[in-house]
Amino acid sequence: MFVPSKENGVVMLAKWDGKDTSFLDWYRNTVIPPKAHFLPPMEEMFHFQKDKQGYQLEQPASDGQKQLIFGIHPCDANALAILDMTFKDAYEDPYYLSRRRNTLLIGLTCTNPSESCFCTSLGSSPSDSSNVDIMLSSIGDEFLIEGVTEAGKKLIAPTGGLEEATGADDARAKEVKEASYHKVTRTIDTEDIDKKLLSCFEDEGYWEKVAAKCISCGICTLLCPTCYCFDISDELVKQQGTRFRSWDSCAFPIYTQMPMENPRIEKWRRLRQKVCHKYEFYPINFGVIACTGCGRCIRLCPVNWDITQTIESVPAKT
Amino acid sequence: MAVTDISHRRRFLAQGNVYLPHIAVIEKIIEETAGVRTFHFNFKDEKLREEFTFESGQFGEYSVFGVGEAPFCISSSPTRHDYLEFVVQRVGKVTNALHRLGVGAEIGFRGPYGNSFPLDRLQRQNLVFVGGGIGLAPLRSLIWNVIDNRDKYQNIDIIYGARSPADLCFWYDLDAWDKDKTINMITTVDRGDESWTGRVGLVPQILEQVAPSAQDTVAIVCGPPIMIRFTFPVLIKLGFTPEQMLTTLEKRMKCGIGKCGRCNIGNLYVCRDGPVFTYAQIKNFISSEY
Repeated sequence: MFVPSKENGVVMLAKWDGKDTSFLDWYRNTVIPPKAHFLPPMEEMFHFQKDKQGYQLEQPASDGQKQLIFGIHPCDANALAILDMTFKDAYEDPYYLSRRRNTLLIGLTCTNPSESCFCTSLGSSPSDSSNVDIMLSSIGDEFLIEGVTEAGKKLIAPTGGLEEATGADDARAKEVKEASYHKVTRTIDTEDIDKKLLSCFEDEGYWEKVAAKCISCGICTLLCPTCYCFDISDELVKQQGTRFRSWDSCAFPIYTQMPMENPRIEKWRRLRQKVCHKYEFYPINFGVIACTGCGRCIRLCPVNWDITQTIESVPAKT
Repeated sequence: MAVTDISHRRRFLAQGNVYLPHIAVIEKIIEETAGVRTFHFNFKDEKLREEFTFESGQFGEYSVFGVGEAPFCISSSPTRHDYLEFVVQRVGKVTNALHRLGVGAEIGFRGPYGNSFPLDRLQRQNLVFVGGGIGLAPLRSLIWNVIDNRDKYQNIDIIYGARSPADLCFWYDLDAWDKDKTINMITTVDRGDESWTGRVGLVPQILEQVAPSAQDTVAIVCGPPIMIRFTFPVLIKLGFTPEQMLTTLEKRMKCGIGKCGRCNIGNLYVCRDGPVFTYAQIKNFISSEY
């Protein structure tokens, strides 16, 4: 089981020691999004070496162990559902999907959303249980536990020490959920945002203004729970080779660099790609906005770039 | 010559981990120009050799183990399959490593990926091929495919150019097409030399001079981005509609299967939705994204 944990001061999911539950007091959300559990910052794809018969390839052994993630917030669980679309599309991605299929998500109603959160503008809420297996909501000294999927219900059934929720418990949970909903104060208007973005795609002036203070550090993409771009590279040490993949970002010029051309040299083109990918291209390709309003890109940006300001200021053109 | 036509084999889909390359062996290397080589290769696995097929326009991800992977189109035609071909210009890390390989060397191949030229749409049409430099590689697969089914197509114009006579790729094909009386072959160079007696001029200019009729015609364009950008307006001037203009695009790619993120033009991924596009599909984005 993986729970929110502070590793060198950075909040991320880490293996639970079976004892410490203090995270329930201080945890608001992880800095490293749970996607890292399924698409690690760096992972080995296969090993290769050359012998007399030629090259031999070998996949790293998968332990296939079942895992639980405890305390995932609705924004991050929804993000995984968004990532699934890409990793299942056309060709299945075996690395990501095998971890997804071996993992159950125990969600936690987010009772203390940040000022930068805006999940309620993206059809979700701090208590949205649509993409978890089990949903927990803190109601005073107790948790209301809801089995969402069949797998989740199966996990709850044999668990000892649980009591049937009373009407009063349900009422308290409803209060908590409503109060949480109203704590999300930041809002954006996503109506027809894909069409609006398409109509201002060539508006260089607008994108230059939006990108003016961006320093292309990539943090908003690397720590975004729905960003999935990756690089593939080889490493060869003493005839033992490894092909691995690692997170990449559209914020970096090299991301699209070809030997003699680069379609996105200017940073406004790269920032436009990031915004349009989430709010225009993903809706066209998969029918959903690839943003869950988790607010990390706002909280963690070193120059206070704010995607909600960008979305709200898209010029209305007909 | 005994050639195997594999164009009627059932569509090939690799089983298992899509990221694991098949091992292939380089069988022949042709020096096209200084810095451009064609590689003939075959799969090491006999079963795979028998099952593999592809369509003109599709590409593969080629590995030099220890250096990396890069995408190249399959430049041979599925109607002539004793081996597969791809063409590499020496420009970066992987392409330099490929140029260091000799006959017998092993490479990795993943694919075939991407869509292909819509043969159903092209049949019974006049075809105008417009190619520049190494951009002839994907067109070449289609041209041989069309030649091997010649009665299904109408007039064929091929307008091909390179910077100089020494930069013309596939000279052996250019000769063959020039001799083929059913094809109008036009070769041009940006700058001639003392022995060059052919046309001189940029591909879009020559296209405008040749002025093929747009009636029942499809134009298929591939070359460096700058040539593609200047060719579309000429075709429009000649009366071609965006649906009558096809191109095949190249972008930096890693996965080849629509996941790593970087090769998009608008919402379309060159690897997954392309590499073959109609101008109608990409015209909203091409001016500023390609």
